[in-house]
Amino acid sequence: MTALALIAAAALPFVTDNMFVVNLAVLMLIAIIFASAWNLLAFSGQGSLGHAAFFGIGAYASTLVAVSLGITPFITIFIGAGVAAVIGILIGLTCVRLKEWFLAMVTFGFAIIVQTLVVSVLAPMTGGWDGIPSPRLVSPAVPGYQLIEYYAILLITIATIIAIWYIMRSKAGLAFLAIRENETEARAAGINPVQYRLLAFAISAFIAGIAGALQIHHIGYITPELFGVDNSFWPITYVILGGLGTIAGPVIGTVALTIIWEGLKETGMTFARYVIIGIILILTIIFLPKGLISLPERLKEWKEQKKGKTEMLLPTGK
Amino acid sequence: MDEISIILQILFWGLYAGCIYILLATGLNLIFGVMKVVNFAHGEFLMVGAYITFTIFLLTGFNPYVILLLSMLALVGIGAVVERLCFRPILGTGKLNEIFLSIGLIYIFQNGAAMIWGDAWQSVKSPYDGITVPVGPLSVPLDYIIIMVVTALILCGLYLFLKKTTIGMQMRATSQNRKGAMLVGIDVERIDVISFGLGCALAAAAGTLWVVSGQVFNPYMGAIPAVKAFAIIILGGLGSIPGAIIGGLLMGLAENGAAYLLGGIWKDAVSFIILIVVLIIRPTGLFGGKEG
Repeated sequence: MTALALIAAAALPFVTDNMFVVNLAVLMLIAIIFASAWNLLAFSGQGSLGHAAFFGIGAYASTLVAVSLGITPFITIFIGAGVAAVIGILIGLTCVRLKEWFLAMVTFGFAIIVQTLVVSVLAPMTGGWDGIPSPRLVSPAVPGYQLIEYYAILLITIATIIAIWYIMRSKAGLAFLAIRENETEARAAGINPVQYRLLAFAISAFIAGIAGALQIHHIGYITPELFGVDNSFWPITYVILGGLGTIAGPVIGTVALTIIWEGLKETGMTFARYVIIGIILILTIIFLPKGLISLPERLKEWKEQKKGKTEMLLPTGK
Repeated sequence: MDEISIILQILFWGLYAGCIYILLATGLNLIFGVMKVVNFAHGEFLMVGAYITFTIFLLTGFNPYVILLLSMLALVGIGAVVERLCFRPILGTGKLNEIFLSIGLIYIFQNGAAMIWGDAWQSVKSPYDGITVPVGPLSVPLDYIIIMVVTALILCGLYLFLKKTTIGMQMRATSQNRKGAMLVGIDVERIDVISFGLGCALAAAAGTLWVVSGQVFNPYMGAIPAVKAFAIIILGGLGSIPGAIIGGLLMGLAENGAAYLLGGIWKDAVSFIILIVVLIIRPTGLFGGKEG
């Protein structure tokens, strides 16, 4: 399954020379990184409603460093992500003691505060609402730059997923799981919840920062709309649809939803697309709480239930 | 204008903004108190309430303050359907699920409204538009005073409903002890539907008052007031209706003060800064107890 997905991703530019499709694939890869970042934080029991903040901070920091120092975006992406991680720790510090939806509120508000800062106090640097141009990841002057960009981002995506897989399986990952399931018991087992929650915040913000920087260096322009509520909600939708707390969930969710989204676009829908996404999200939460990844199991369960019912209805020979 | 009248002006604006927040926060608190459910999509009910008032106003030309009642009634129905179809199936499966479900509702309501009414900014003209009343050294729009009176009336009505009627008492019983309420024969699921509908009706009242006061609105206007209402109930204490009233007034005042001192762009951010500062000092909210 994994191998098939990898082959498909690597072969994509050879199958189609339609640059629209390649471009879409790039944005999808970035969305996968972003969704995986959110997923890791949710894995530790912390559901953020403001991940656009880290996405945007990574993007702005990377752009500003790249512009002022003239360094290649390939390096500044990680500087931007580092800035996002530091701010992630700061916001994590306010969140570690909070319950689920207090935390959701704080993160949501944080994205709005950052946006306000970017368009007011920081406007001389960030260009305010108008935004500023951002250096491209690979200069358009290079022949075949789109393909280089695609493969570079594909490599970063794979590296991110492997890193998250490793973290989830490591001692830290087990600690995240323990804290999510029962904080008191985790504490009794010698896990320091504050330390591990901050770690989850830092890693998640770092990866979200990478995603933001990649997207902005791919598009070549940055505006404060990056901090919008929509941008905070997308990764959540992807992860819930795919399967919360799993490695493959964010990937499957992002791919499935992107295909649905673009397919609906073909039919000329505008607002109705969002309504359909909302309905899909709610149906998933109610009927498929573990996401698309659990669909085969659920189908089996449903079949057995049905069988059980028909057996009960059959006359028991007498 | 001298300084005292500026301060009075800010106080008055804060009071008016506070009224809208109080209605929204009280509705949220009612739902949380009874169901222990967190509905992040509450602002969408405010928006739908505003649009229903707008539509009836365009069709009939009635006084918008009369339409308020129709709009509230419509939202009781919509709220009951949402509770039955969306929240009841996931009741007790965890707070995160409720938050995620609300995101789905936000998508559906915002864009559903945009499909029906378009996404342009709209407004409703109050029949008392342009009439001002002298209050001390200020001359304030009559609408603002009516809004404050209507808010007070709704809150008094709610108080009487909760204290005097059987359903109100059953709601309070369910909110205090759900299992106990079930044991004494209260149909808690019915109480859930009623509370959710009532909470949505209060949101519709907030939405109607919002548009009648001359504010423009579009399908995406609900998100920010809703989150502020959350901030208010976190400040004022979960499930506490007096807390929501005090919190709403404080929020209205703080916001308008900040808009005057720092510039209008800070209006939204300042409420979250207050929220974060309070939560750093007291992670359970200002008057919050064990719940949450």
